[in-house]
Amino acid sequence: MHTEKLQAFTISTIDYGDSDRIVSLFTLEQGRLRAFARGARKSRKRFGAALEPFARIEVQVRIKEGLSGLVQADIHSIYPHIRNDLEKIAHALYACELVDSITAESQPLPRLYRLFAAYLDRLETAPAQEDERRFFEINLLNILGYRPALENCSRCGTSYNTRGAILLEGGELCCGPCAAPGRPLSDATLKNLQACLGTGTFGSIPLQPDVLIQAGALLDDAISAHTGRRLKSLNFLRQVSL
Amino acid sequence: MLTKASSLSRLVGELKKLPGVGERTALRLAFHLLKSPQNLTTLAEALLEVRAKVRTCSTCFAITEDDPCTICSGRRDTGTICVVENSQDLMALERSNAYHGVYHVLEGAISPLAGVGPDALRISELLERIHRGGVNEVVIATNFSVEGEATALYLAKLLKSVNIKVSRLAHGIPLGSDIEFVDAATVQWALQGRNEL
Ligand SMILES: [Zn+2]
Ligand SMILES: [Zn+2]
Repeated sequence: MHTEKLQAFTISTIDYGDSDRIVSLFTLEQGRLRAFARGARKSRKRFGAALEPFARIEVQVRIKEGLSGLVQADIHSIYPHIRNDLEKIAHALYACELVDSITAESQPLPRLYRLFAAYLDRLETAPAQEDERRFFEINLLNILGYRPALENCSRCGTSYNTRGAILLEGGELCCGPCAAPGRPLSDATLKNLQACLGTGTFGSIPLQPDVLIQAGALLDDAISAHTGRRLKSLNFLRQVSL
Repeated sequence: MLTKASSLSRLVGELKKLPGVGERTALRLAFHLLKSPQNLTTLAEALLEVRAKVRTCSTCFAITEDDPCTICSGRRDTGTICVVENSQDLMALERSNAYHGVYHVLEGAISPLAGVGPDALRISELLERIHRGGVNEVVIATNFSVEGEATALYLAKLLKSVNIKVSRLAHGIPLGSDIEFVDAATVQWALQGRNEL
């Protein structure tokens, strides 16, 4: 057992008993980590807003297998502009839930950490937008090794060229001849998604409405295939984005 | 002496369900009650009385014994509705003696990560009250957590179409404190909500 200082985001908390909380942290150094926050419910002062979702913090954690212990949490940012905008809150919470449910515990993912931080920084300074959420999702899948087959058929390996692809269940992509009935994805959609992976800058690849619909179908399928469930925060995201 | 089926262990079991009460505290409380049979009787009566009498106000959804509650039926400014998450928050506002309008208890807050959406709250009942007329201001007093903020912003958006004033309790540096000692989150939030002088 040893204590470490980590850069982290709070991504979820659950109450434990009457006075404690278990917090899910996404850390730069150690990936996703569950930590026991003793006294977090009893005294708001103990950790304050540090244990609110999407707070960017620096923590001291007593590392233990299974459940670590939270010793101290200092706030770097609560993202005040996100907290003051309904759509931004919905997008930020969705990003938290996505990272919480798709990453394995104690697996360092520094690239994903930087992507997540960049997404929150972007939400803090620019309006919440559907295409930037999709940009976050495709890059997240790529970093986790779940990149969809955007160039060549996942079954026979043939290049799509400019013919586009067919979306099968579970976010699988393949060419026309290989395909069972599925949803067509245009060449423009595939190229746009590739472009999203070619840059780390949010807002640099605007997606047209038809591309957004197709990319959304692919990403929704691919993500739920990996999380194994529908994310709870999606309902709220839909409700406020109307 | 304490068998699983005994009435005493049943009492301990029930006490343990209370927040903050573990096995040892439950035992201690049970034995304390046993020492005075009179205490046991009055506690039992109080519990049954609460069960029989306490309900929620059909207008504002506050915990009450009378329906409508004493606030809804009292001499209050019914043109101003203060929206709170629960009855404890309502009581805190009442203790301030600074508010003279009526209330609306949402019975929770929007919590997307827990799957609690607006439909799970008493929002449609609030809208009904407003549509019945006579309301000129809604004061939103949900908590200053992400969930409370989401709820406040959602209500503000919803009420935009209705022609009434919507306000939010002010937030920021605690009264009587030195800025030097205030945590970063509170300062960030206070800057966000700064007022023009
Ligand atoms: Zn093929
Ligand atoms: Zn009432």
